[in-house]
Amino acid sequence: MRKSIYVLSFIIFSIFSVNIMVYAQDAPEVSEKGKEVYEESCAHCHGVEGRGDGSAAKNLLPQPRDFTGGIYKIRSTAGGELPTDKDLFDIISKGMPGSSMPEWESALSADERWEVVAYIKTFYEGFKENESPPIEISLEGKIPYSEESVEIGKFFYAQFACFECHGNVGRGDGTSAPTLQDEWGFKSWPANLAQSWNFRGGSSTEDIYKRFIGGIAGSAMPMFEDASFGLSVEEAQRYGQLENKVEMTDAEDEEFNSLDEKMGNAYDILDMMTEGLADEEQKQLHAEAMKVFQEKSWHIANYVKSLAPEKRPEPAIGKNALRSQYTVDTLPTIDDAAWETLEASYFPLVGQIVVEPRQFNPTIDSVNVKSFYNDTEVAFLFIWDDRTNNTEEMEDEDLGKTFEDAIAIQFPVKIPEDPTAPKPYFLWGGKKAVYLWQWKASAADTVTELTAKGITKAEVQEVQGDLQAEGKYTDGQYRLWIKRALKTDDKKDLQIEPGEFVPIAFSVWDGANGDVDTKRVISSWYSFVLEPVPSSKRFIYPPLVALLSLGILVGLRGFVQRRNT
Amino acid sequence: MRKPSLFTICLVIFIACWIFLRFIVGSVISVPIPNSVIVMYMALILIAILVHISVEDSRLSEFLRPIIETLVDENKRVRRIVLVVLIPLFVLGYTYTNIAQKASPPGDPRDAHPSPPLELTYKDEVLENTENPYRHLKKDDPEEFKSHVENGRKVYYDNCFYCHGDHLDGQGHFANALNPLPANFQDPGIIPNFQESFFFWRISKGGPGLPKEGTPWNSAMPIWEDHLEKDEIWDVILFLSEYTGYSYREVGH
Repeated sequence: MRKSIYVLSFIIFSIFSVNIMVYAQDAPEVSEKGKEVYEESCAHCHGVEGRGDGSAAKNLLPQPRDFTGGIYKIRSTAGGELPTDKDLFDIISKGMPGSSMPEWESALSADERWEVVAYIKTFYEGFKENESPPIEISLEGKIPYSEESVEIGKFFYAQFACFECHGNVGRGDGTSAPTLQDEWGFKSWPANLAQSWNFRGGSSTEDIYKRFIGGIAGSAMPMFEDASFGLSVEEAQRYGQLENKVEMTDAEDEEFNSLDEKMGNAYDILDMMTEGLADEEQKQLHAEAMKVFQEKSWHIANYVKSLAPEKRPEPAIGKNALRSQYTVDTLPTIDDAAWETLEASYFPLVGQIVVEPRQFNPTIDSVNVKSFYNDTEVAFLFIWDDRTNNTEEMEDEDLGKTFEDAIAIQFPVKIPEDPTAPKPYFLWGGKKAVYLWQWKASAADTVTELTAKGITKAEVQEVQGDLQAEGKYTDGQYRLWIKRALKTDDKKDLQIEPGEFVPIAFSVWDGANGDVDTKRVISSWYSFVLEPVPSSKRFIYPPLVALLSLGILVGLRGFVQRRNT
Repeated sequence: MRKPSLFTICLVIFIACWIFLRFIVGSVISVPIPNSVIVMYMALILIAILVHISVEDSRLSEFLRPIIETLVDENKRVRRIVLVVLIPLFVLGYTYTNIAQKASPPGDPRDAHPSPPLELTYKDEVLENTENPYRHLKKDDPEEFKSHVENGRKVYYDNCFYCHGDHLDGQGHFANALNPLPANFQDPGIIPNFQESFFFWRISKGGPGLPKEGTPWNSAMPIWEDHLEKDEIWDVILFLSEYTGYSYREVGH
């Protein structure tokens, strides 16, 4: 009841939030050279006429940019503005991580890239008409990263309803995530904020701040809205606190009303500003409210920054191979704190584009794996982010046909005897068979053992029941726990010895992305090993060898002395 | 200045050679040399030094003099004690790190390039002519040739660029999940070393078509004859060389 109508009536006003800055036109005059480079390097995706309809475009999501609309996602300019030349140059140079736009720094000279910028601008009339330079977002008043700032940011992340799309802990799993589309009606998923390496416009705090303030044009990410406009950081927090109270004392009621009123006044002033009716005092008040709004945004940027590791983890190759840790205890269950002590191995996944139907636009980035073993059993924890929890095949209002989420973990039936022996084909085997553990979201406690001799040639094993499993979905993340005996009686199962490297590979299905059967994300072969208990030899041999070397030195001295006499 | 002893000279040469092989070669001159090769080179250098000092008795005794002095002379006491402590400590550390080292997974010992089969086939059809049927158009009909290259470009961007990349450098946006990485056509060691028929074979038969020798290939390359027409494969082969500027090895060379 007491929910302020102002919270609901979000108003877009980021145009006011930026300071006008002097800006230089950087791109050179349009030249034949720019056209040439564009047609050689860009046109196969963006189209000869810049409509984003090159021959490769049909399989790409996000779609290649249509330059004729003047809508650019990654800008350093305010909402509704065109990008600066430098913005276009930077995107071409650095590419857009997580999309199919690569960096061009390594392939084109800086001059060539500038020529392309000039040429791309010719596709949109607005660049010519626009005589005043675009308004850039000011980075003044940046709040440095700190635990306190992250905490405050977390509050505003909730108050500004970021979670509706990006989810409670930022994995892009908000309730509206499945409904979002871009300007052109293509499916657009909110960013998984825990995977900063896929942020299209970069993952520095400044980058994040700019995406907030300026919005991501053409996508579902709006220009930024202040849900507690006119209130200071402390007042906004207090307001949130009171708002959630079931019963308020009279004093609290009064306090709440006064905050509510303050917010109302700020919105009134905003209206006056938009209509150009504000007097000096009101302008002053508005400027103050804007400043606080920027402060809140910096806190949110710091919070978002805190959600992801600094860099994409190293893939589980070589020394990063998946190593199962030995324990004398019973193996931990799915929610055991013991898992937190292990560093996960990171297995990047990509779309399966070998066999029809193929997946050109995967939504699952990777699977992270941890493992413990003891004298008789081995336990795994598989963790992967998926924005939606799909437990059955169905017709979704927004997504069309969706399927069940699933994962399959693949091993060879027979471990290659030596490193030079060929492994089965990485796509579920071929002449050589693979052994699979398949888990589906509808049966969280069941893992099925399969044997396969090809991606479409999998058979459920007759003998089942060697595996214990438990799967959970929380906040955009699956966690699957599987436990098995090291040795089984079934000859079609994998038999595992400590110290022996076992090839391992993955298939994951995101039902919301249309993944089913061969349409899925996959990895190639990696290695997993039950890390042998460190040998006690390491305490015996080195001192012995050191003593021996000492002995040789002493002996040598004795020998020389004797010879000299 | 006192002339350095023969022992010091030999030691300096030995260490300098090691630094050269281990660090200079890898970063400045070419690619890093495998450790086993460095050990072989160092053994040869050691033998050369030993031969040099043992040619004359006087040289040998000059070489041994600082060693013997360090071992017994009264005025070299400090140096002796330092060495007696340092050498066993070094040995201790070295053996410990070697024993306690984590096992590393099997590498991928493979030939750089597989040998192609005797016959060039597309599906089951044997191709009598193993040359690119459109290659001659470059001279005979440049316009027609250009349209084949353009078609090759289309085939490439519809199918190949996910892994082999926009720059044809094996760094496509799907490449990061693959091990080994997709072929890099910008590498000067790739296109100029092979005939077009070799490329036709690798594209049409993919990873599963690799020979039994030299395994494990671990190639994720699909069998493209299942998806592409014969002409499309020849066209994409034209595109690869036109885009990178490299020419294939000619037949008969």
